[in-house]
Amino acid sequence: MTAAVDSLRILVPCLYAVLVALYGISFFGNVPVVDRVKTWVLMVSVIVHCAYLALRTAAFDHPPITSVFEIMSVLAASTAAGYAYIELRTKATNTGFFILLLAFGFQTVSSVFIKDITELPHYLHSLVLGFHVAAALLGYTAISLSAVYGFLYLMLYHEIKSSRFGVIYVRLPNLEKLETMSHKAEVLGFYALGAAIVIGLLWLPRVFSEFSYWDPKLVGSLAIWLLYAVALGAKKRLGWQGRKTMVISLVAFAFVFLSLTVINLYLSGFHSFH
Amino acid sequence: MKLSSIGISHHSASLDVRERMWLSADEIRGVLAQLKERQVPECVLVSTCNRTELYSFGAAVDEASLKRFLIDFKGAAPSVQPAHFDGASAGNAVNHLFKVAAGIDSMVIGDIQILGQVKEAFILAREAGTVGPILSRLMQAALHVGKRVRTETTICEGAVSVSYAAVELASKIFADLSKKSVLLIGAGETGELTLKHLVGKGIGHVRIANRTRAKADALVAALGGTAVDYEHMVDALRSVDIVISSVNSPSYIVQPDDVQKVMKQRSNNPLFLIDIGVPRNVNPAAKRIENVFLYDIDSLGAVVDKNLENRREEIPHVTAIIREELVEFFRWHKSLDVGPTIQEFRDALELIRKQEVEKNLNRFRPEDRELLELVTRRILNKILHTPTTVLKQESEEAGHNADTVSHVRALRELFGFSRNGRKPRDE
Repeated sequence: MTAAVDSLRILVPCLYAVLVALYGISFFGNVPVVDRVKTWVLMVSVIVHCAYLALRTAAFDHPPITSVFEIMSVLAASTAAGYAYIELRTKATNTGFFILLLAFGFQTVSSVFIKDITELPHYLHSLVLGFHVAAALLGYTAISLSAVYGFLYLMLYHEIKSSRFGVIYVRLPNLEKLETMSHKAEVLGFYALGAAIVIGLLWLPRVFSEFSYWDPKLVGSLAIWLLYAVALGAKKRLGWQGRKTMVISLVAFAFVFLSLTVINLYLSGFHSFH
Repeated sequence: MKLSSIGISHHSASLDVRERMWLSADEIRGVLAQLKERQVPECVLVSTCNRTELYSFGAAVDEASLKRFLIDFKGAAPSVQPAHFDGASAGNAVNHLFKVAAGIDSMVIGDIQILGQVKEAFILAREAGTVGPILSRLMQAALHVGKRVRTETTICEGAVSVSYAAVELASKIFADLSKKSVLLIGAGETGELTLKHLVGKGIGHVRIANRTRAKADALVAALGGTAVDYEHMVDALRSVDIVISSVNSPSYIVQPDDVQKVMKQRSNNPLFLIDIGVPRNVNPAAKRIENVFLYDIDSLGAVVDKNLENRREEIPHVTAIIREELVEFFRWHKSLDVGPTIQEFRDALELIRKQEVEKNLNRFRPEDRELLELVTRRILNKILHTPTTVLKQESEEAGHNADTVSHVRALRELFGFSRNGRKPRDE
């Protein structure tokens, strides 16, 4: 079974690479065959990815939510599945390239760094952990989508401002819609991450005797959450709109990505349990 | 094929001439009725501001007299002469109609309106009873070409007028125009046209400012909305989302400082400034301000040029579609020919006769077999005699008139050799 898990570990990011290529061709070019095929490849990829996660759960006797790289894979799957849902519901396939690029990024990082863990400390078999992870996952997915829409907003903004009317201009929805989608996703992500942090803060001191409030991961998460709080507050209180808020969202997201990778890799505190 | 098209269009005649030859729906009905009396069994008349064209089939009248008839009907002589007309016949006429319906013969390539006008012409002719099987099939094929061109190519996409380009930009910036408001400053033609397009797109609220208050009031009366004092025009920027400015003024009427101040007051809500004034009304430095989208007549013109170029690049796709539909149409048309149909009819029956004779040959004595051959053949000939002569006669006398065509089609369908003649499309 480990062999199957291992080959899927390599296959899944490859599938995402193919998906990104297909959605890229469909966005920038005009190839009818690709337009017809891409949604099917997306479905297959999501199914294969879910199979990979299920197989991991069975092979290592725990759901893949106990290390940051396991979680990244779940994050990639939920992003792709979330997008598949949006595409089927709205028939709008034009933002797929950018969202799947993100899923590809998450899954590649996960596949490279993930470790096969079989022995789990007892405290990771906990319902509270489940809530904590679910909230964090929802938060990160929402924030990722918000960042993608923010990025698209900025690209379209510059095309319109500079009177260059390329593919971006033709294919994307309007600025206001992109801003709304980004904002809604950001608000959802903000509350979900807040919930994850609160659950974590209540649960951690009980489980870890050596728990410290100065853990780099904890400080990093709080800093990011505060950054989003400031951004959302500025929107609400100061009535900020448009470009500036999108830039702030993207900067905040860059910190999220940094925190997920750098802090966990090099400044590792309690979030690496093994 | 006795199909012909005559007409004047922007290729052959000036606007002045085209205007004189333009026909209203009632006039078209009149023309069709008179042509019917004059032994033109099938005809359709398309009339738009850019073209007046008559498609006819099986006319006993020559093209010159049809041209003369149209000119006389409008009383347009001597300013309109037969020389203003273009003409085409048979395949060229079909090709021309397909190009018209596809929008590549229009003054503005990919003009969407023409398809609707062709459809209207078809409906008028059908009501007047001047479409028979040939023109009916031809018009349906032309409408099909138009539909395919619209769905399979992008030749109709992208705004090709300054006013539409502005509206298109507005819908790339704002999600729901019905929640937005627009301010028109001044009253140039393009400015008004842009405003009308925005109203057509359901813009939420209209404000109009003019140095002459009466003009503003008149426009408000026509388009709705509210009039704004020209002196307080800059203040009005605070509460609108789109500004169309076309004032005749030697200096800028809106400065970057004004815009900067207004943007603060409107908490940085996006502001779309359409400056159609020449010389420009808004200082171009305002373009640098965040969330301000400033377009002048040149940048809108550039949008239009780009769109036109995109449309021109689509022409090969369109002509490919036209070619396919031409082949299809002529395949159908060929299946109406009497000669081949009779031959096929005869072959089909002969095949049955032969098979039956061979199957039953052993039941007859050898000396009777020749007789059997003779008798069956004679029966066959007798059966075939009347339909064959009737068809041949009809075709010699009238060509593809309604009777011949329906007889040929009945024959092909009843005896099951209509593989070439695809069933006519549903409209």
